[in-house]
Formats: sequence, C-alpha cells, structure tokens
Amino acid sequence: MGRSQLIMAAKVVALLVVAVLLQVIVVSHVSILGVTGDLFLILTVIVAVSRGSLEAAVFGFFAGLIADIAYFSPLGVRSLVYVLAGYLVGVFVARFAISKPWSVVLLSGVTSFLAQFMYGLFQYVMGPRGGFLTMIGTQMLPEMVLDALITAPLYVLFVRTGLLPVRHVEAAQFGGAEE
Amino acid sequence: MPRNKVAWRRVVFVVLIIASLAVLTVSFRQTQSGPVHAIQRGTASLLAPMQTWGDRIAQPFQDGYHWLTTLWAAHKDAERLAGEVQVLQGKVIELQEQSEENERLKSLLDLKDKGTFPNGTGFVAARVIAKSPNKWQAWVEIDKGSADGLAVDMAVVGSTPVAGEALAGKGLVGKIVSVTAHSAQVQLITDSESSVYAKIQGSRAEGIVEGSVSGRVIMDYVDRDISVDPKLVVVTSGYGGGIYPPDIPIGIVVNVGEEDVNSYKAIEVQPFLDFRVLEEVMVLIVPGSDDTLGGVTTTTVPGGSTTTTWPAGLTTTTTVPASGTTTTTTPASSTTTTTEG
Repeated sequence: MGRSQLIMAAKVVALLVVAVLLQVIVVSHVSILGVTGDLFLILTVIVAVSRGSLEAAVFGFFAGLIADIAYFSPLGVRSLVYVLAGYLVGVFVARFAISKPWSVVLLSGVTSFLAQFMYGLFQYVMGPRGGFLTMIGTQMLPEMVLDALITAPLYVLFVRTGLLPVRHVEAAQFGGAEE
Repeated sequence: MPRNKVAWRRVVFVVLIIASLAVLTVSFRQTQSGPVHAIQRGTASLLAPMQTWGDRIAQPFQDGYHWLTTLWAAHKDAERLAGEVQVLQGKVIELQEQSEENERLKSLLDLKDKGTFPNGTGFVAARVIAKSPNKWQAWVEIDKGSADGLAVDMAVVGSTPVAGEALAGKGLVGKIVSVTAHSAQVQLITDSESSVYAKIQGSRAEGIVEGSVSGRVIMDYVDRDISVDPKLVVVTSGYGGGIYPPDIPIGIVVNVGEEDVNSYKAIEVQPFLDFRVLEEVMVLIVPGSDDTLGGVTTTTVPGGSTTTTWPAGLTTTTTVPASGTTTTTTPASSTTTTTEG
C-alpha cells in the first residue's frame, strides 16, 4: 500500500468518524416531514462517486455496521444495503461518468429510495408490516428528497476542500469504465 | 483496467456481502447476551454520550424550529378561531333570541293554562310583525289572519318580560280591529280609541278602561262612593258586548283621582304588559264567536255586509267593499264610525 493509498484510507476512516459524529449529533436531530437524513448512505454515495465502487462498498460496510449499532437494529442489515448501494452506484458512475453535482444529488435521491426499499423489504419480512404505499408516502419519498438535499452541500464541500476530489472518468462504450 | 483488479473488486464485494449476511445471521441467531449483541451494546454505550451532547446542542435549534412552527400554527389557529368565534357569537345571539322567545311563549302558555277563559276557548299564537309608527295610535300587526280563523273583535292576550308580581307581564293586549287573510291589526288597550269594560278585584268597582294618546290607561266611570285602593288588580268584566271574556288581567291601580265636578273616579291603571317589547300574542277564539256569542247575534248579508247585534243594544255593521273595510258601531246613545282603506 503506497503513501497515497494510506492517506486515502485515513481520509475514509476520518470521514467515517465525522459521519458518525454528524449523524449522531446533528442529522438525527433534524427531522423534516417526520424523517431524518441518512448521512451514512449519503457519504457512501459520495465515496462511490469520488473514489469508486470498491471503496464505496468497504465504506458502506463499516458505515452500515456503525449505523446498526447506533440505531440498535440487527447488525448487518444496513451493512448489506450500503455495500450493495455503494458498489452499484460506483459501477453506475463509472459507466456513465457522472460527476456533476446535480447528477450526484439525483443519484443520491434514487439510491436513498432504493436503499429504503430494500430496508423496507427486510422489515417487511422480519418485523412490523406497514402499508406499502403509506411507507412510500410517509417515509421513502420524504427521506429521498431530504437525502438528496443534504447531498448537494456535502458533495460540494468535499470537492472544494479536496477531501474527496472528483475523479475524471470517461463513460465506457461497452461495459463499465472500472470493470 | 487489468482484469485481475476487476476480479479483486468483485471478490471484495462478494466478501462484504457475505460478511454482512454472516453478521446478520449471527446477530439473529445469538441471544441478547451473546458476544455480537454485547459488542453492539458496548459500542452503543460509547455513542450514547455523543448522542446526549448532540441532543443538548440540537435542543435549542429544535426549540427554535418548534417555536417557529408553533407560532405559525398558532397564527393559523388564531385566524381559524377568530372565524369560529364570529360564527359562535352569531349562534349565541341566535340561541339567546330563541331562549327569550321560548320564555315568552312559555309565559303565553302559562297564561293560557292558568287563565280563566270560557270553556272551549281556542288560542292562536301569533308573532308581532309591525307596530304603530306614532303615538297617535297604538296597535300592532300580527302574522295570523282570517286564514288562521281570526276575525274582527277577537280578544288578544299576551305576555312581556316584565318582572313583578304574580300576574305581572301577562294580560290583555287588546282586540282585533282589522283582519286580512294572513295578518291582523290589533288595537292595544292603550290606544285612545280603545275601551274595555273592566272591574277592580277587591272592591268590585266597575268601569271602562280607556287608552290615551299619552299612553296612560285610565279606568273611568267608577262610582265615587266605591272605595278603591292602589295596587288592586284590574281585570275585564266581560260586559260591553262580550268581546273580552271576563277576568283577563289588565293591570293594577296606581293612582285614584277624584274631582268634585266629576261624578266618577278616574283611576290610573298600570298595564301588566309592557307594549314596547311585545313580540308574541295569543288570540282568543271564544266558542260561538262566529255566529252567536253570549247573546251576540251576527248576520251576514250576501252583498258582503255583516251586522252584529250585541246584548247591550249596540249594533255593528261591517262591510268589505273592494276598496277596504268599513265598520260602523251604533250604540244606544252614540254612533262611532271607523273607516279603513
């Protein structure tokens, strides 16, 4: 592992710590329309856009574990969701060369919705069963919007500060740029 | 990108998925006292102080946000409540009016139940819809007419919200002097043209209660040698043509005047009713008042003229031409003519 990779790993760990602090101290206390933003997922998306699918999957795994611990939910649920989200977003970004802020915002919203959908499926199988349309209206859509809105300033902040610089990838003609 | 790197990514991805599923499985299979849950609890206990700090830091902002939303909601509530208050005030006024009307109607019913009216007397309740515009006349118009069985010379009683003694607020209003299909004009006992045969309870003195332009009600033609004290009750005597059934309360004696040059006493009577606030009345339909009433005979001529002969020698002729109503009363000693329209 080279120096630059070590620095990047340290950045990711620092980001994880910051994410925990922000999520626990700030984001979880800001409720809009009855939902709170999911900073772990947002950062997973930003890492996927900035660093790629592998880093995003790893980041998502640990972020999910921490989120499960913080929210007293069964360990591994969010890890699974965030790993899938981070990896697939990374592949998608590489394939379509997405790096513009508004595209990232849109991507974050869609990812938030799909992640919640997965999490909802898990809840549906394992736990309390709520009305599907009700959950879409009261939980998934509001959080999708909220996550997208939180993504915009965070992404700009990370790019401007150089914490997670934008990668310059070209869209693949056939198959992903990374794969 | 080298193929081995792509494979490496895929391997890591699959490993992470498997790790997640493994953690999930272990988490579910273990009891709450298991090591995974212990680790989770331990880590959560490390996060707890941060959550507490976060809560303390966020609390003022949450309070501010809550205050703003509450303020906005309170503003909306205030607007909504102001509208509701207006509606409710309207309803309160309406209910108050209904309550007062109920009281008056109840009082009328009380008068009907407790009054000593002739057997079989019918009662028609009516609402006052107009009043005489000046003091030269004293009449009210009611919303019932011939279609409701009303006719000229029917007695009218009523009640008004006046506090006082037992009969206060209930008594004689007057008589119907003109009637249409759906309304009737009632001449009040305070009208200067009104005269009611009356007697004073307690002294048995008899006389005629007359109204005046000033609004005072005087009982005239009471013999000077009969002692009359104030506060005695004046009621109808039932004489004078039988328009007014006997014993309908009129008022109380408030002043007894005697003049040397006058052979009768002039007694000022305070009516039980406050005619200024009269709103509902009850018309008495005495049995046989259409044709024969206590010796009164009514004859209807095909041309539209009705002649009524009273026991005291009075003759009343009522004609209803196209232009209006003409009533001619011819007593034994004098003649009175009333023309309307």
